[in-house]
Amino acid sequence: MRTARLGSSVITIVLSLFAIVSFFPLYVTVLNSFKTEKEMFSSILSLPSTLQIENYSQALQKTQLLSSLGNTVIVSVLGIAGILLFAAMAGYKLSRTPGKLSNFIFFLFIASMLVPFHSIMIPLVKTTKTLSLQGSIYGLAVIYIGLGVNMAIFLFHGFVKSIPRELEESASMDGCGQFRTFTTIILPLLLPITVTVGILKFLWIWNDFLLPLLMIQDTNDYTLILSTNKLFGEYTKEWSLILAALVLTAIPVVIIYAIFQKFIVAGIAEGAVKG
Amino acid sequence: MKKSLNILLSTVVAVLLLAGCAANKAENTGNQASEVTKAAPKEETLKIFIPQPQFKEQYDKFVADFVAKVKAEKNIDVKVQMEMPPNDQAPQILKTRLAANDVPDVFALHAINDLPTYYKAGYVEDLSNQPFVEKILDSVKSAVTIEDKVLAVPLETLNWGYLYNKKIFADLGLEPPATVTEMKAVIETLKKNDITPFQLTYKEVSPPQLFNSLTIGAMVNTDNQDFIDRMNSDKGSYEEIKTELFGIFDLVSANGNDRALEVSPADGAAAFAQGETAMWVMGPWYADTILKSNPDIQIGVAPLPINDNPNATMINMSVSTSLVVATDSKNKELAYDFVNFVLDDNETNDLYKSLKFNPIAKNHTFETYPWVNDALDYIKEGKAYKDPSMPPAVKAEVGKLLQAYYSNSISQDDVISGLDRAWKNANKINN
Amino acid sequence: MKNKYLALLAFVAPAFIAYFVMLVIPTLGGFYYSFTDWNGLAKSYHFIGLDNFVEAVTDDPDFIHSISFTLKHVIFMVIAQNVIALLLAILIESQRKMKGFFRTIFFMPNMVSLIISSFIWTFMFSQVLPQLAVKTGWLFLNQEWSGNPKAAFFSIAIVSLWQGVGYMMIIYLAALQGVPQSLREAAIIDGASPVKSLVHITLPMITHAFTICFFLTLNSAFKVFDVVYGLTGGGPGRETQVITLNIFEEAFSNNFRYGYASAKSVLLFAMIMLFTFVQVFVMKKREVEA
Repeated sequence: MRTARLGSSVITIVLSLFAIVSFFPLYVTVLNSFKTEKEMFSSILSLPSTLQIENYSQALQKTQLLSSLGNTVIVSVLGIAGILLFAAMAGYKLSRTPGKLSNFIFFLFIASMLVPFHSIMIPLVKTTKTLSLQGSIYGLAVIYIGLGVNMAIFLFHGFVKSIPRELEESASMDGCGQFRTFTTIILPLLLPITVTVGILKFLWIWNDFLLPLLMIQDTNDYTLILSTNKLFGEYTKEWSLILAALVLTAIPVVIIYAIFQKFIVAGIAEGAVKG
Repeated sequence: MKKSLNILLSTVVAVLLLAGCAANKAENTGNQASEVTKAAPKEETLKIFIPQPQFKEQYDKFVADFVAKVKAEKNIDVKVQMEMPPNDQAPQILKTRLAANDVPDVFALHAINDLPTYYKAGYVEDLSNQPFVEKILDSVKSAVTIEDKVLAVPLETLNWGYLYNKKIFADLGLEPPATVTEMKAVIETLKKNDITPFQLTYKEVSPPQLFNSLTIGAMVNTDNQDFIDRMNSDKGSYEEIKTELFGIFDLVSANGNDRALEVSPADGAAAFAQGETAMWVMGPWYADTILKSNPDIQIGVAPLPINDNPNATMINMSVSTSLVVATDSKNKELAYDFVNFVLDDNETNDLYKSLKFNPIAKNHTFETYPWVNDALDYIKEGKAYKDPSMPPAVKAEVGKLLQAYYSNSISQDDVISGLDRAWKNANKINN
Repeated sequence: MKNKYLALLAFVAPAFIAYFVMLVIPTLGGFYYSFTDWNGLAKSYHFIGLDNFVEAVTDDPDFIHSISFTLKHVIFMVIAQNVIALLLAILIESQRKMKGFFRTIFFMPNMVSLIISSFIWTFMFSQVLPQLAVKTGWLFLNQEWSGNPKAAFFSIAIVSLWQGVGYMMIIYLAALQGVPQSLREAAIIDGASPVKSLVHITLPMITHAFTICFFLTLNSAFKVFDVVYGLTGGGPGRETQVITLNIFEEAFSNNFRYGYASAKSVLLFAMIMLFTFVQVFVMKKREVEA
């Protein structure tokens, strides 16, 4: 028993060491975002002697962070809403309709998850241009719907299997139309997976870099990541500013993570087990 | 087992289907070239593409002036969509836009590197009849002229070799050397005084690539005049200039700061500004960055020697960022107005001065910076040549290969054969 | 019966149309261009059959180099990411307290996007670690993390691991929690050591987690782009250039040979398919046998 307890505290120590290594980069980034450049170069690990809030106000101005934040929110909300609605419908029906056709459609969706983005980017730009989706954050949201439904359908499809059929069957006996059955009976039951998929898609859209880079031209339409990237691309490397911008870009994600951690974790595990 | 077979089979079917459909798809894609919905009358949109985000303030002000002028003179509300991606990402973004028929009305190209290719591909409008053409200085005009057509309004001209810290040189009684042997003496003096002679910034590919332009520029104006022509017809080899190229590259690299592959030009500019290093093989386009870090530094520009022939030690004269009008622009009149506005008598001095660019037009009367005058002195003595034109792909290759060479991953011969191959490939595409 | 298919169509159509336009058409477009000499700038192009594929395989040392570098990265990542993630999961699962805390910490980096991660680590490698090396005397921290090709391989792996391990750990944790406690306890009562019970009881019961984690790591390691782009840009030279970056360079910064770049991306696609199929096939087979 004693060895077991000893073993357990050794494990705690090992885990703590891992945790320090894992957390350290985020810690020094936040820490130094509050320092002057000079202080950073002399003592990178110590606490800031005075809190340089100016780094943040400067970063806010240089990156047009507020308008970028607005754009990112619009793209995320529209993209997620579209993905959730379309994928829930499709995932539900594909799961409930046995047969070769639905299997085939389902596998088409799944197979496309293997396509590397780099092999579709120029044809994609061409297609979206034809549809006048280029250069607008609303167009960007539509593109995200097209690119994001496959994985969402996969998750909904798996979840629907766990819902007993009896519920819909009794509803349809009551004379409920298919669509009404879906919206009134099924959708509420899908809530847990809907939240999960929504968060996963949020993380994806919020953190995506290459697609907005190709689609958005006007700096006024920049997403957060594009604005931060612009700071990096500029001639002068002012670390304190860049660190502040990095922190600002990451904050919303960390907040979402703090609130929805359970769903995120569940979503990943869910998706994996169902696969 | 059954499940995995199932997955396997269905995915194979899916892939086959995808591949099979490719043939049918063929005809459609080409014809889908789209029409942009026409803007309402009196409200026009002008798309401008200049990959210089570091000058956003200056350009924003200039654009605002342009919008006000058009409003006043033509009663048109112009909405200018200004796109300013980071410089290193600009080529692929522009390329993507063009491929997708989403052409900016006015866009920036490097006059020597990019203009010929884009002109050949039919993306660049002939501007010969525009009023601004008269104003450009003749020495600059030739760089934006192809087949007797003036194609662009030049913004940025560069007279360069390497930068040096004038104060360090003066304190130690040094003069910019005229030969490699003299350069070695300068290096010795600097080292004796505990100053790192050269700033190395090889993290990005553009700084090592400069050695190529300087070496070839000097050689084709002295000992090897038809080098580029022969390279363009697959008859030459970098073997011919190997001694000079590696002679100077090795000398500079051996006498610079450590960990050069991790130092970006931005980092290097700061170190150079603080006087940690005395020389930097770099052009005055970093002057602004250097001065931001240390406003008191005295920057000098001098030609880099590549061998012991003092006549080969010359300034490189180049025209880089230049604005062109797209052939496919939907709004050519406004685009013409914009490029003319760049050299507008009332505006142009403010614009060029605020950008710290060199004067390029007859109506440029603003006061120039000391380093500009340094270079002009060499040019007046005839110690200058026009930046040699070579395939952009080769230039990009030089940077990468010299990086790999510097990291001891490849040998000099690998660099030579790699460059020869890159040039041959470029010939294949261009012919 | 007809009604059933109509309903299926009605429910699937919105998603399918969006998916078809944004994903299927561009994929087919990519296949199509891979047989052409379209250079991305010229307005016309020609069919050239398999020439692009032949050139990629026989006459493009940079592409071959990028494949071998990517394969090294894939092998390293698949092993390291799964070993570390599984280890963390097992250690956390063996804890009575602070499970949630550790999970939160290890998973947090996964929330930060890859491009932001590579910026954060550029800061770590260029500023923090050198100072740390001086202060602690751990000189190995003061490496040419992005300048030396050998070190750069590991910096890329470090950032990818830092960002990606948490995700796999979550999957392993979920699988471990699915193993009935009673089974493990029974084994230990029968006198098996914790390690033995782990190897003989627990691990065989989570083979499905191995399958999915290997699949995910294999896939993401093959497609690695953002980290390399943000950290080394493929440099020095092309020493750390991965396949996606080679394609990117070919399409946009070299000669803008988009047709040729498309052919390479078709090859990448084929490679990913091949490797993941073999992996899933083999592991599913073992899963069933186990």
